Amino acid sequence: MRQIEKITRRLFIKGGFWALTLILWHGIRGPQKIWAEDSFSGTDFVGKTREGKHSSFYINFWKPMRRINIKTWRLKITGLVESPKIFTLDELQNLPIHSQSSRLKCVECWSARAEWSGFSLKELEQIVQPLASARGVLFHCGDDYKEYLSRDSLKQDRVLLAHSMNGEPLSDAHGFPLRLIAPSKYGYKNPKAILEMEYVAEQQAGTWSKIGPYSPDGTILPGTDHPLEFGKQARRIPGGEITDY
Amino acid sequence: MKTFILFVCLVLASESKYAYSSEMVEVPAGKSVIGEISNNDALPQQVLQLQTFSIDRFEVTQEEYARFFPEFIFWQGAEAHPATNITWYQAQSYCEQVGKRLPTEQEWEKSARGTDARLYPWGDKPPRKKPHPFYSGIIKRRVGLNKKDNSPYGVRDMAGSVWEWTASFENGKNVTRGGLWNHHLDYEYSKTFERNLIAPSGRFIFLGFRCAK
Repeated sequence: MRQIEKITRRLFIKGGFWALTLILWHGIRGPQKIWAEDSFSGTDFVGKTREGKHSSFYINFWKPMRRINIKTWRLKITGLVESPKIFTLDELQNLPIHSQSSRLKCVECWSARAEWSGFSLKELEQIVQPLASARGVLFHCGDDYKEYLSRDSLKQDRVLLAHSMNGEPLSDAHGFPLRLIAPSKYGYKNPKAILEMEYVAEQQAGTWSKIGPYSPDGTILPGTDHPLEFGKQARRIPGGEITDY
Repeated sequence: MKTFILFVCLVLASESKYAYSSEMVEVPAGKSVIGEISNNDALPQQVLQLQTFSIDRFEVTQEEYARFFPEFIFWQGAEAHPATNITWYQAQSYCEQVGKRLPTEQEWEKSARGTDARLYPWGDKPPRKKPHPFYSGIIKRRVGLNKKDNSPYGVRDMAGSVWEWTASFENGKNVTRGGLWNHHLDYEYSKTFERNLIAPSGRFIFLGFRCAK
């Protein structure tokens, strides 16, 4: 009997110690940090975060958005095209796939590299046939973000409409199911969670360019970069796509 | 009085045609310091003897470029802004058509730096007025607008304005020299020895050129 009491007391003390440790840890880090990778894990939303695995590839959104349901998602091609069309992801994935390693450089100074796979605008335009008056494309995104790119810049080599990242379908945080990769432009010219591509006649300012000191052109300028995988150590960049590292 | 005002207007009007690229400065033969010690952004430091050459005082403007390449389009009122979004091949072709060539990077550096190995075209002190740091893009301005950005030989806009193609190349890319007057998140003008490498097919809003012969 005394033996059982001893075991019970030991278990009680041990259990109490671990419970206390957990409570203290919980208090210091906050509940979401113990169980979740970032503030949005386990929720129906995605938004800006630098937490968990995203500390090596930051995530920016215009505003938090509900995760996209692939059963209902469609890409709408509208505006100045001969054949407006609505695509499913399966249809887009059947277009010829190109893969490339490229670095996404944010205007905030950080950058990160990934392997992106998707299709080029040329493939899409063979189907929808833009009119001669269509000068550019206005992207409408799931987080209400809008961004404009000229057709000239979209047709440059290494510009992709990407549906995969590092061999996996895009995660919600990285813009599932479709995003633009334009490696010579700052991240804000790489819209994600694309819902609609509207062919337009006039150049337009995107969401950030309308409200902040962000150039509508968005070309990466010569200067300094702080790549996340190299501990944000400053590196000089010549402007345009970062190819040296 | 009316005649005088008319004369001033005519002078201003003729100036607005900006015959910039026809104006060259001669850089005399002689030794000069090229490069910088222990700086990966520069050529290794050396004293070079260069022959006499001439170099455009200003970057080639949009209006000047469009005279030879009418398909080059620019906004009205931006005639005297530096011509950019031009590949190295196009820049070289323009220089050849006007009877010139692109400068080598050594010629470019001597034109900016003189013979006293200065850090900036105007001397060693960073200017009190910093480059505009708050905008993520290029705001082009009339070439030669910043009168302080003036080298010992009178060559303009070698620290600011836009970067420039040179004839030199390394590892399949061409050397670009120069700097911007509005740097995103950078608070200093480029130094005379700083260099970048860009593929010759690159076309960027921040990259223009000037010619030499």
